[in-house]
Amino acid sequence: MKSRLRELREKRGWSQGDLAEQLDVSRQTVNAIETEKYDPSLPLAFRIARVFGQRIETIFLTDDPS
Amino acid sequence: MRAVHRRYLREFIPAMAGYVGLILGSVYWLKLGHPSGYWRALIALLPVLPIVLVMRAMVRVIRDSDELERRIELEAVAIGAMTVGMVFFGAGLLAGADVIALTGESVAIWVLPALCASYGLAKCWAIRRYR
Repeated sequence: MKSRLRELREKRGWSQGDLAEQLDVSRQTVNAIETEKYDPSLPLAFRIARVFGQRIETIFLTDDPS
Repeated sequence: MRAVHRRYLREFIPAMAGYVGLILGSVYWLKLGHPSGYWRALIALLPVLPIVLVMRAMVRVIRDSDELERRIELEAVAIGAMTVGMVFFGAGLLAGADVIALTGESVAIWVLPALCASYGLAKCWAIRRYR
């Protein structure tokens, strides 16, 4: 799944490790989400949205028009 | 390194050291020919105790891992277990056809080390997949 995670993280000047610490996940998990190798669960997606103060659908982008 | 992995190493390393010490000690003692009876069985089984501690450390680290780490563990355990199962099944078929000779003791002894090695290799592969 495409996401704006890297863009939002870099805008705040955070490293992957910084973000991983805030989300209580490994740096590898943040990297895997950014490189679209892993889609986060709904609870993790909500935590990510909360950290960035945005709605989930503005961070995670889907090709599905519905 | 995350706190959960530091705790894992704190639990895993002493348990493995205990295992190595007990297996060397128990084999040496049994080869000397004593003790006998129930005590002999107890001494032979002593190395299993630290393995229980290793298992506890592994369960705790998996429970406290994040969701991607748990997925990697699941893939590694599944691939590792099935690979070992297939290898031992194949070896059993070859032994049944008298192509190779196997003793029950060697099979029983090598299952756990083979499982650990196979899991380790599968985990390296799974980690690379999500890198």
